[in-house]
Amino acid sequence: MKEKHITEILDKAPIAMLSESELNEIRAHTLECMSCRDAFEAARLSAVIIKSRVEATIEPSPFFQTRVMAALREQQAVESVPAMLRLWRSAKVLVSTMAVTTAALAVFSFIQPAQTTPVAETASAFSEYSVIMDRDVDEQMSYEQVLSTIYEDEDETR
Amino acid sequence: MDLARQAQDGDESAFAEIVRRYSPRVFSVASRFFRQRTLVEEAAQEVFLKAFTQLGSFEGRGSLEGWLTRIATNTCLNMVRGAKRRPEFTVSDLTEDEQGWLEQQSAGDGGKPASVEKSLVATDLADRLLSVLSPEDQQALLMIDGEQASVKEVAEATGWSESKVKVRAFRARKKVREAMEKLLSYERKAHH
Repeated sequence: MKEKHITEILDKAPIAMLSESELNEIRAHTLECMSCRDAFEAARLSAVIIKSRVEATIEPSPFFQTRVMAALREQQAVESVPAMLRLWRSAKVLVSTMAVTTAALAVFSFIQPAQTTPVAETASAFSEYSVIMDRDVDEQMSYEQVLSTIYEDEDETR
Repeated sequence: MDLARQAQDGDESAFAEIVRRYSPRVFSVASRFFRQRTLVEEAAQEVFLKAFTQLGSFEGRGSLEGWLTRIATNTCLNMVRGAKRRPEFTVSDLTEDEQGWLEQQSAGDGGKPASVEKSLVATDLADRLLSVLSPEDQQALLMIDGEQASVKEVAEATGWSESKVKVRAFRARKKVREAMEKLLSYERKAHH
């Protein structure tokens, strides 16, 4: 008896399902074999705690049915919206931000350079006409400058 | 079957009746996997939403309850697989209450009716011991040893073959028994 340990009998089925002959075999063997006695005790306690684990069942609350039906309606509402619209709803903030950024970049790229800059002013002084006629820009004096130059010359001669 | 057919035809009140009638069964399955009410409710809701979208695939060969049980088992298994696993249980992790419970049971007081507190201790201990198993092995053990389900019933609920169920249950029983043996020997050493 001692050569054939009973652990295999313990593991093959729940203790509650063992036959009378199997239980007798276990009892007889555990009288002589300490290790199998420990194994049997462990199997018995395991069965007790597994039973108590299964008994710890949570019951549905009275609102559960309402909750499921609400979730179902919500799911149906989501599914009824076209895919592109759902995509837009989820990405609209990102898309709007990108659109504003692009518009701002466009403004800075095309509108700002049209304003005159000091460089542009200098460039316009050398007009096509003055370049072709070989006229110095500095010679183009205003009427007041001409008068003041004449009066200065007269004062000097006096 | 009538309820299922009505729900398939878009009758919302028929589906509401299915939820009312079978939610205890779905909660019972989800409770095997989770201890917290919020998780059990979340899983059960997921089960019914899946059931609604898959109603067309229910042909009425088996019972509606069996069909829902299978969806519930697979849904919960997926949720558990996706969750972070708890660190493996070691004997030195035992709380005083758990040690007391083990002592009492070893002394042969297991036949006394258990108080609510002691049941909770036993349930905690069960969770710790079951953490040595994979979620699939846990289910096989809890259904067969805990709920006295037959191998065939477990096979139907999970979609596994009967031989797979037997192998899982055998392996789970052995692992849990060995873990319990370690606990008991630790307990004995602590007292000597």
